[in-house]
Amino acid sequence: MAVTVRFVSVFRDLGVSRRLFVVEAETLEKTIDKLEVQIPGLKEKLVDSHGRLHPAYQVIHTKGNRQGLCSKLDCPIADGDEIVITPLISGG
Amino acid sequence: MYGFQGTMLIVDLTQGKVLTEKLDERFTRNHIGGVGFGIRLLYDRLEPGVDPLSPENMLVFASGPLSALGFMGSTGMSIVSKSPLTELIGDSDLRGSFGRDLKSCGYDALIVRGSAKSPVYLELTDRSVQIKDAGDLWGKTTAEVQSILSRRNEKGFRILSIGPAGEKLVKYACISGDVRFFAGRLGMGAVMGAKNLKAIVMKGEKETPIADPQAMKNLMKEIHYEVLHDGSCDTLSKYGTWNNTGPSNLKGTLPTKNFQRTTFDEIDQIDGDAMLSRISAGDRTCPGCPIGCRRVVKSEQPYRISPQYGGPQYETVAALGPTVLLGDAVAIAKANELCNLYGLDTISTGVTIAFAMECSEKGVLTDKDLGMHLKWGDPEGILQIIRMIAFREGAGDVLAEGVKRASEKIGRGSEEWAMHVKGLEIPMHDPRGKKGIALAYATAIKGADHESAMHDDVFERENALPELGYVKPMGRKEYQGKPLLVKKTQDLWGILSDALPICKFPMAPPRPLKPNRLVSALNFVTGWDVSLEEFLRVGERIFNLGRLFNVREGADRTLDMLPNRFSEPTPGGASTGETITKENLERMLDEYYDHRGWSKDGVPTEETLKRLELKAP
Ligand code: SF4
Repeated sequence: MAVTVRFVSVFRDLGVSRRLFVVEAETLEKTIDKLEVQIPGLKEKLVDSHGRLHPAYQVIHTKGNRQGLCSKLDCPIADGDEIVITPLISGG
Repeated sequence: MYGFQGTMLIVDLTQGKVLTEKLDERFTRNHIGGVGFGIRLLYDRLEPGVDPLSPENMLVFASGPLSALGFMGSTGMSIVSKSPLTELIGDSDLRGSFGRDLKSCGYDALIVRGSAKSPVYLELTDRSVQIKDAGDLWGKTTAEVQSILSRRNEKGFRILSIGPAGEKLVKYACISGDVRFFAGRLGMGAVMGAKNLKAIVMKGEKETPIADPQAMKNLMKEIHYEVLHDGSCDTLSKYGTWNNTGPSNLKGTLPTKNFQRTTFDEIDQIDGDAMLSRISAGDRTCPGCPIGCRRVVKSEQPYRISPQYGGPQYETVAALGPTVLLGDAVAIAKANELCNLYGLDTISTGVTIAFAMECSEKGVLTDKDLGMHLKWGDPEGILQIIRMIAFREGAGDVLAEGVKRASEKIGRGSEEWAMHVKGLEIPMHDPRGKKGIALAYATAIKGADHESAMHDDVFERENALPELGYVKPMGRKEYQGKPLLVKKTQDLWGILSDALPICKFPMAPPRPLKPNRLVSALNFVTGWDVSLEEFLRVGERIFNLGRLFNVREGADRTLDMLPNRFSEPTPGGASTGETITKENLERMLDEYYDHRGWSKDGVPTEETLKRLELKAP
């Protein structure tokens, strides 16, 4: 269940820019938990105080040639999927 | 009157006369300030059909009730006039402290009309208003004017000025504020140039009374705390608006090669991380804003770039980068610096250069016509054509007219590559991947404006904006529900933010400047008892007044359109295959006009006018 993860224009202070992460996970939550081991401090930023995906970020989920958003932590992720974590675009 | 000085200054440059007028509370409560004052004053006092560059046109600089506070961009102002680019209502917001400075001189708004016989500048203080000779400033760049006037005046004077582009009446010339802030769009700098007004310097010490300063202080403290601790502004703080570049590319909404594409091959050279590693020299903020999104850039090689001008924001990076296929961060920053020095709007400049490049590529403009070889992505060519536009040299003269007029003059099918709405060049969000933004571009009173309605991306999650009824997610590529969303957020985000004024960035969900808090801030400052409903109605009133101004100038449904290029499917990226066909746009317009209470032709009905306490033109 290998999932590739990229970060675009976020968390530079955590040293994730331009790096590709590969983790084994079945949901977004598990992906974040696994990444937290490699990127300490990530979970605190990505998950808000209510235990939900922080609304300031979007998780773009690519499955084959289909692209969608993972907006909940229990979003299922399958082997070979790619997720990209970005800030929410709000104009400007 | 709390929140206001209660006085408006009128300067007639033809007669060399200065007078003041009192503002009453009915006027202020019905229009709040900023863009609301500007549109109302133009609607009431400008005859239809006036040439925007004639002495008859008025240029209004207006602060709002929050301007006296240092509160997230509230110290800024709106600059409103009939635009030379669209020949319709035009306004451009200016951050910095200029709204507060105008108030400190004792005025909520300044109207400049007429035209001086020779170049002048205005000096405003809380004791006097003087029209001074600007013969020695004419022909100078914004930076030179800043330096001369800073030396001439005592410390603390704020300076608004135009560069050579404003003097040469380039239709998209901007106004500089201390050469760090720019009222970029719609050619306000050309209107200033047409009045022979090179600069305005301001300094005063008048206090503006606040009804409940303690309550306001508490509210500001609460909001500042959230900005710093709830994580909603973190990437804006760290990356500035460069946080948009990478995600726009990923989503396939990044205008590339004059909107022929929506993803850029060299994105890694110009995205937020690239800009931060290569040219960032720190950040700046606006008075009272803990976010500090304004990036400053610096470089020595291959181009020397001074941090004096701040740096290019997202719109500029995209307009002078992917739109013209330039993937070099330093060259983009240099192009931005030239636009700032000469006083050009960076979005219109980038889109106009892209238009010229497409004309050249397709053989409609030859090297001889252009006086140079202009090819996609060539930094030297881009820097050269910027100078030619600013000084109206050679082909720069026709390009200085903006893409609409330039394409009408050049002809030979080039109209198809002129990316504008109502004459205003399209900003840096390809609307095919954001159906709400498509409708917002088509219907904004000032033409294609990226800050006229909230972006679709914000509403892709639950509970985005419950105060306006947005609880369920809406996909960015969907049409459903967008007409009402655009209407509501045009009134709030597009208009009311510029009336208070307040920066739009902290207002975009999930950031902490929620509508109810804006209403509280307005009431704490003015002592009014405005409800959210009344607040939103003021936004709707101002928007409709802008529409009435445009209708009086001859605008109708036929102008609420998008370029044909957007009916072609996007060729790649995450918005592949997306279009905005004429039929789909017409359907959205029908629904939007219904929500607005407009006729099928796009004219506010009698009933709507009555509800908003407006009169037909
Ligand atoms: S968010 Fe940025 S532009 Fe807005 S007030 Fe703050 S620093 Fe200024």
